[in-house]
Amino acid sequence: MKKFLVLCAALLAFALASLPASAALTVDVTQGNAQPLPIAIPDFVPGGGGDPAAGANIAGVVRADLERSGLFRPLDPKGFVEHVTNINTVPNFQSWRSITAQGLVTGQVTQQPDGRLRVDFRLWDVYGESQMLGLQFFTTPENWRRIAHMVSDAIYERITGEKGYFDTRIVFISETGPAIKRVKRLAIMDEDGANPIFLTRGDYMVLTPRFNPTAQMIAYMSYIGAKPRVYLFDIETGRQEMLGNFPNMTFSPRFSPDGNSVALTLETAGNSDIYVMDLRSRSIRRLTTDPAIDTAPSFSPDGRQIAFESDRGGSQQIYVMNADGSGQHRVSFGAGGNGTPVWSPRGDLLAFTRQQGAHFTIGVMRPDGSGERMLTNAYHDEGPTWAPNGRVLMFTRVSPGGRDSQVWSVDVTGRNERRVLTPGSASDPAWSPLIQ
Amino acid sequence: MSSNPSPTRRKAAQPAVRRASFTRQRPTTARSQPFGIFGSILFHGLILAAAFLTFQRNLSTPEDSHVVPVDLVTVADQTNVAAQAPPTPPAPEPEKMDMPTPPAPEPIQPQMQDVEPAPEPPVPKFDIQKEKKPDTDKPVEKPQTKKEAQQDFAALLNKLTTPDKAQKNVKPGPRVIQGVGAGTMMTADLADALKSQMYRCWSPPTGAPDARDLVVDYDLNLNPDGTVARLQMTPSTAAQAAGNGYTRAAAEAASRAIYQCQPYRLPADRYNVWREINPLRFDPRQMMQ
Repeated sequence: MKKFLVLCAALLAFALASLPASAALTVDVTQGNAQPLPIAIPDFVPGGGGDPAAGANIAGVVRADLERSGLFRPLDPKGFVEHVTNINTVPNFQSWRSITAQGLVTGQVTQQPDGRLRVDFRLWDVYGESQMLGLQFFTTPENWRRIAHMVSDAIYERITGEKGYFDTRIVFISETGPAIKRVKRLAIMDEDGANPIFLTRGDYMVLTPRFNPTAQMIAYMSYIGAKPRVYLFDIETGRQEMLGNFPNMTFSPRFSPDGNSVALTLETAGNSDIYVMDLRSRSIRRLTTDPAIDTAPSFSPDGRQIAFESDRGGSQQIYVMNADGSGQHRVSFGAGGNGTPVWSPRGDLLAFTRQQGAHFTIGVMRPDGSGERMLTNAYHDEGPTWAPNGRVLMFTRVSPGGRDSQVWSVDVTGRNERRVLTPGSASDPAWSPLIQ
Repeated sequence: MSSNPSPTRRKAAQPAVRRASFTRQRPTTARSQPFGIFGSILFHGLILAAAFLTFQRNLSTPEDSHVVPVDLVTVADQTNVAAQAPPTPPAPEPEKMDMPTPPAPEPIQPQMQDVEPAPEPPVPKFDIQKEKKPDTDKPVEKPQTKKEAQQDFAALLNKLTTPDKAQKNVKPGPRVIQGVGAGTMMTADLADALKSQMYRCWSPPTGAPDARDLVVDYDLNLNPDGTVARLQMTPSTAAQAAGNGYTRAAAEAASRAIYQCQPYRLPADRYNVWREINPLRFDPRQMMQ
C-alpha cells in the first residue's frame, strides 16, 4: 500500500515536472541587424547671451562625434518635423518617431552673468517616451568644443553602457617634406582632428610617443645627438628631459597604469632587453635577460603583467610575463610574425601587428593568445593604440611604396574603418586617456 | 562457468516463486477490490498522463535557431482545409489608439543640477483602450449544429493524434475551425513570425566585453492589434541591468526593437496564444560566433 502511494506520488511529480513553467508563448530572437542608432540632435537652443551660433556649433560637434563612432546615425536636421524651442518641455515623440529617430538630444546654451557658458542637455528615448539623461556643464566660452565632446561622451555611455572617448587627444608624428629628407615632429590634436599643435620643431627625428595616465606627459624616442633615447615631454610646460642617461640606446617606452614607472627597451652590447624605471627614484630594474631581442613592453591595466615581443623562438612573437619579469610565456602562435602588443584598457584583449611577407595588418587576441581576430586587411597597417574605453583602435596606414602614411581607426569588431584627419602625413598615433 | 551454475538457477527459479506467490495472493487482492480498482485507475491514469506530457514535449517542434523571414497570411486567406463551420465573426476592431499629444506643460524652471539627472518630466503614456479579453473559460453560447458536432469529434481525434503545445498551454476558446492549414495550433510558427518581424529592428550591442553573453529577457503583453500593451524586463534581467551598464544597454536596445517593430502581424484568431510572450529572449550568441 505504502509502496503504491509512493509510486503514485512519484508519477504525479514526474507528470508535473513535465509541465512547462509558464503558460505564455516563449520566443528566442537570435538574429538581429546591427546598425547605427538613428538619433536626432537639433541645434542647441540659445538660452540668452553669448554667441548665437554656439548652440549650432556644439550640436554640430556632437553629431560629428557620434557619427564617427559608427554606432550612431545622426539624422539630417533638415528633416526634423518638430522645432525645439524649449528643452524643458516634453518633446512630441510621435513627430520624432515619424522621422525614424530612436534617440533625441535637446540642449540649450546660456551665457552666465559671470561670462561662463552653461550647456544643458537632455537625452530622450523616443520609443520608450522617457528621459534617459539630463546634464549640465559650465565652462569658459573658448572651451565649447570640449563641452561638446563631453556631451557626446555622456550620450555614448548612456546608450552603449561603456565610457566614451571623444574628450581625448591624440599625439602622433607629423611627417612633412620629401622622403629622403623627412621632417618628423611630435604633434597633438583633439580626437576629432581639431586643434592640432606641434610639440617639437622637427630638428630631430621623434618616434613612438606614449601618453601617461593623466594625459599630461608624453614619453617618446628621439634621435637627439644621433643616439636614440627615451625622453619625457610635459605638455603643460613644454619641458622635455631625457629618461636616464644610459650609454646605449633606449626605445619603445610605455607608462605603467599608475604613471609612476616606465617600461622601456635598453640595448646593451647588441642585446635588447626590457627594463622598468621608477620615475620617482629613477632606479631601473631589468625584466628580461634573453639573448634575443625583447622589446615593445605594454602593461596590463591592473599593472600586474606585461606583454612584449621577442624573437627568442626564431620569429618575432608576442609573450606575456608578470610585472616582475617572472613567468614569461609565448601567447601568439598565428601565421607570420606578430609584434607591438598593446594591452586594451579594458584588459580583455591584446592588439598587435602581424607581418606576413610584405603585408602588415592589425589584429586582436585575448591575453592568453586565444580568440585571435584580424581587424584590417590593407597593405601596411601597424602600431595599434587603444581608445580609453577599449572599443576603438587607431593605427598607422602606410601606402604601397611607403610614400605616404596616415592615421586610421577601426572598431574592435573590425567595422567602421575610417581615416583620422591629420594635418598632412602622420604616423605612430597614441590615444590619450579621458582628459580629467 | 560450469563450476558456478547455482546463481543462474536461482534467478530462473525466482520468477516461478513470484508467480506462485502472486497466485496465492490473488484472493487477498480480490478482497480489497474497491481500493484496487481506484488505485489501478489512478495508477494507469498517471502513467498515461506522464507519457502523454513527456512525449508531447519530445514531439514538439524544436526551437529554430535561424530566422526565417515569414510573410504571415491570415488563415482565412489561404487554407488547405475546407471550412467545416461558418467562420467566426471578425474580431472586433480595437479602439483606434490615439497617441496623445503631450500637453504643452507650463514652462518648467530649469532644475538640472550639476551632473545629476534632470527630474523626470511627465511622460505621456500610451492611452490604449484595452480590448476586453475574450473570455476563454466561458464560450459564447451557440446552438451547435450537427456539422459542428462532427467537426468537434474530428478535432478531438486530431487532438489525440497530434498533441501540441498550444493546447497544453491555453484553454481553447469556442472551437470553430474556419479552414485551417497544417499545424495551426502549434506555437513554433508564431514564434517564427514574431522573430521575423523583430530581427530587422534589433541591433544587438557589439563590441562590449563578452557581448555574446548579453542575453536579455522580457515579458511582453500584446494588444489584439499587435501593439505593445505592456513590456517589462524579467526579474533576472532587471537585476542584472541594475548592476551592469552593458546589460542595461543590451536591454534597452531590445526594448527599442520591440517598440520600433510594432504592430506585429499575427493571426487574430490565435490571440490567446500570443497575448503574452514570456520570456521574449534576445540572444546575440549566434550572431557573434
